[in-house]
Amino acid sequence: MGSCDLKLYYFNLQARGELIRLILAAADRTYEDIRFDINQWSEYKPKMILGQCPVLELTDGTQIPQSMAIARYVARETGLAGINNLEAAKIDAVVDTQRDINETFYGKVFFEQDEIRKAEELEKFLNETLVKHVENLGKLKKAYSQNESYFVGNKLSWADLFVFQSIKALLKAIPQVKGKLGDQFKQLIDAIHSNEKLKAYLDSRPKTDF
Amino acid sequence: MSIYKLYYFNNRGRGEVCRLIFAAAGQIYEDIRYEDDQWLLHKDKILLGQMPVLEYNDIKLPQSRAIARFLAKQFQLAGKNDIEQAKVDAVVDTIEDLIEKLIPVFDEQNDVKREELSKKFFNEELPKHLQNLDVLLKVFGNGGSFFVGNHLTWADLYFYNFFETILGINENCLNNYPSLKQNRQEVEKQPKIAEYLQNRPKTSI
Repeated sequence: MGSCDLKLYYFNLQARGELIRLILAAADRTYEDIRFDINQWSEYKPKMILGQCPVLELTDGTQIPQSMAIARYVARETGLAGINNLEAAKIDAVVDTQRDINETFYGKVFFEQDEIRKAEELEKFLNETLVKHVENLGKLKKAYSQNESYFVGNKLSWADLFVFQSIKALLKAIPQVKGKLGDQFKQLIDAIHSNEKLKAYLDSRPKTDF
Repeated sequence: MSIYKLYYFNNRGRGEVCRLIFAAAGQIYEDIRYEDDQWLLHKDKILLGQMPVLEYNDIKLPQSRAIARFLAKQFQLAGKNDIEQAKVDAVVDTIEDLIEKLIPVFDEQNDVKREELSKKFFNEELPKHLQNLDVLLKVFGNGGSFFVGNHLTWADLYFYNFFETILGINENCLNNYPSLKQNRQEVEKQPKIAEYLQNRPKTSI
């Protein structure tokens, strides 16, 4: 890798594309960050392997669909997936734990149309689901971390970037979350903001609705 | 002494792909199965209070796909290089998307609503995802029967296991997808897997 021929196709949103962009930014890896609006999607859709995005296109034209498969691949290529198979697995476990909570939030709260049901689910999410999740991440960090800032081993991994991005997105969607998180993620967030390459990316990335 | 211990319920669910990987690899492990009431007694002692969990030496790993990928890599069933591994992950995630559509159907208590959700699953979600899986098999499969690179990977085992459940509900659901049907037949023919399938506990999910 290291080729500028790496292409990422996604909407001009953070959503399911941003983790990939963060990993590539942390590694200072050049790539073509192809972003389109919803009204351009009909142009791109037939060119995507499963008619969905994000898609990562490699130099030889191979297309990889599925945001997490892409993220894991670029993390592996850029040294952000742990130093061995076991560390990679611990990272995957943290990622999947965060992913479960994201799916619950977006599935049951964020995209819920019925106002009454939405309010009920939000209440449950804030007071039960999120509390348990923060506890679980704490347990995983205790079991896997050798460093006060990062989830696994001794250095930044894509698990840290995923939790960071997810928390940021959650805070933007429901600011009430802030009170529920306590100081749990402060060291992680500080570490990421102090990372030169990430700071440069975060300061310059396009501002989008989500 | 076994260095691998797998903790899960006494059914296939989210534990079976790990058991299939162990079987394909011919790897000995402790297959710890809990009935529901036993689980309630052990839940507090298990990391995150959920299963499956893998104990590897002293390390505990939760999350079924994280465990499966780890085991697959240990036993060369994850893909021969980074790109193949990414393709395998993409197939698994596509199957997982479909699993996540089925879960609300199983969870629905109201009979009428469940029937509605089930119809929607079989008439809309299933064909859409089968179409996608068919594409991935053709594009990643190098013309062979396996999903990626012409050899068995855990993507094939993941597909095999989930579709055992679906075929149990609707035995004709793969009739329009001969390549996918053949993929499952190819998995069943692997000698170590055939032996495991014959001897394992039979469960509907």
